[in-house]
Amino acid sequence: MNKAPAAAFSGPKDGAPARESDPGGAPVFLTRNVRKVWPGETDFVLTIPELVARPAEKMALVGFSGCGKSTLLDLLALILRPDEAGCFMFHADPDPPLDVIGCWQDNDLNRLALTRMQRIGYVLQTGGLLPFLSVGDNIRLSRQALGLADDGYVEALAERLGIRPHLKKFPSQISVGERQRVAIARAMAHEPAVVMADEPTASLDPFNAERIMRLFTDLVEDRGVTLIVATHEWDRVRELGFRRVRFELDRETDRSVHSRVIG
Amino acid sequence: MHRFKTIVSISLRDYFHERLLSACAILGLAAVLAPLLVIFGVKSGIISTLTDRLVGDPRNLEITAVGSGQFSPEWFDRMSAKPGVDFLIPQTRSIAATMVLVDRGASLPATLPVDLIPTGKGDPLLEKYASVPEEVSAVVLSASAARKLQTEAGRTVVGKVGRSVQGQKEQVDIALTVSAVLPPEAFFRDAAFVDIALLEATEDYRDGFGSERFGWPGKPKPRSARSYPGFRMYSDTIDDVASLAAALNEQGVEVYTRAAEIEVVRSLDRSFTLIFRLIAVVAICGYFASMASNVLANVNRKSRHLGVVRLIGFSTRNIVWFPIVQAAATAVLGTAAAFLLYGATELVINVVFGQYLAEGEYVCRLAFRHYLAAFSLTLAMSVLASSFAGLRTAKIEPSKVIRDV
Repeated sequence: MNKAPAAAFSGPKDGAPARESDPGGAPVFLTRNVRKVWPGETDFVLTIPELVARPAEKMALVGFSGCGKSTLLDLLALILRPDEAGCFMFHADPDPPLDVIGCWQDNDLNRLALTRMQRIGYVLQTGGLLPFLSVGDNIRLSRQALGLADDGYVEALAERLGIRPHLKKFPSQISVGERQRVAIARAMAHEPAVVMADEPTASLDPFNAERIMRLFTDLVEDRGVTLIVATHEWDRVRELGFRRVRFELDRETDRSVHSRVIG
Repeated sequence: MHRFKTIVSISLRDYFHERLLSACAILGLAAVLAPLLVIFGVKSGIISTLTDRLVGDPRNLEITAVGSGQFSPEWFDRMSAKPGVDFLIPQTRSIAATMVLVDRGASLPATLPVDLIPTGKGDPLLEKYASVPEEVSAVVLSASAARKLQTEAGRTVVGKVGRSVQGQKEQVDIALTVSAVLPPEAFFRDAAFVDIALLEATEDYRDGFGSERFGWPGKPKPRSARSYPGFRMYSDTIDDVASLAAALNEQGVEVYTRAAEIEVVRSLDRSFTLIFRLIAVVAICGYFASMASNVLANVNRKSRHLGVVRLIGFSTRNIVWFPIVQAAATAVLGTAAAFLLYGATELVINVVFGQYLAEGEYVCRLAFRHYLAAFSLTLAMSVLASSFAGLRTAKIEPSKVIRDV
């Protein structure tokens, strides 16, 4: 499978220049003093003293299993309710900044769902494709739900990711690597401002993992999309130019484990 | 709206993707509904056939006086105007209301004494089985009378009325045209249906009077109000029979009706309906439980995929429709399958029992409104049964399910 040249990825909307990394622009995520507790035999407490994600930034949440990177990713993806938050703002043009903690407190889940649908893409570790939809329909799902016109963007995206021949197949008919590319295409099809990925290449062999990760980062760079990846591969993300966010784990008592995010 | 349409679309795609399981659900519904439809169809078919027979047979509408009374022409005017009375005609003394008929055209001239039954315009018995004779000299014969006289409609028979005046036997003849012959089931006795005027003249002749109209000799009948010993009465509908009978009883007139037969069909209908309702309630409860648990199991099985759908950003409002749409699809297709099964069964039942039925009668029959009711009820039950699963779907937290492999 050849890596498609960047020029091949040129939907009609591609005429506009890609969003540039703008360190001075309003942050996509601005959080302060966020806390999430998983009660259990041993409580797990995740605290995020401060975390800022800027537009078009590539950020990696790096840590071993159980450090809370999936929890953090879910908090940022607006699908997990924080127990406490001093500040939790999400901002993606052209929407006004969204007070996420306010939405959770007001139980305005529909507002969060709509924001997720319009502005966020999510790549799961094992694809998370719907088995009853064809590859193409999986990719088009958010566009269809948002009523976005089919303007060739999806085909161009599929071309770039090398999955164009598979659009009519079902997820069960393609390989794990191809499924992961489809998951990336689905996360990006509705042109979101942020894409989150939870260990996107963990289920792939090193060769495929390397290739797909590079394709993924090239893609988000071209589109000026903010990328937040949860991973345990400290070195690889550095090579790809990610800003790394670490977790500091300490077992305070027998009853609880605390993890602190070092932004 | 786009989101709702998308949910409906992916729900149906999932339904189609799992077509084997969907087919099981559809057949499960058809297996409950088709026998119910057959039971209800048989109940409805038998009862409506029995009711049609009751309604269609004028004898069930007949109210006959027991014994003889004295009814004046004013009484007949008053009773005819009563609501529920369809047809009322006086009957002369039964002992005088006879005549000997002779068909001279037959190879062996046949002679038969017959009862004379008064008839007139609007007589339900004759209107159903033949037609009311228009001429005074026309007559409708019962089947047995026609057979014994070896005559048929269109021929002429001679009616003979005899009397004995001071020991002297006298007799008059009248030529009568047979305008129609009733079928055997319409009337059992040897009888001729004739105009009331002929009956009155016959009675008068036997009393020793003459008739100007028929040219029969005798002294003229003195002018006085005629009194009749009986009547033939038919009610409008079988529902009027009981009330008319009660009204006559109040006047001291004892009557005979077929109210008992009507009541038998009515109570049969009530019992059938009760039994059917019991069966239906049990079946519906069973179906409801099986549908609800089936949909709930499906939602639990698919919680990861539904979690992904939630993750993508569908609101709770949208996602509750996912199981409901599938339940509705099962309702639509299952009802259609049940209708097909029922239709085939109905055909077989009606063919097998066809020999006991007249034209236009059925053992098993459903009206359009029954189909409509079965469909609406099934759809409503299915949506209701799946709404709990719908709420369950809305409560799925993506963060808890999307990492389950």
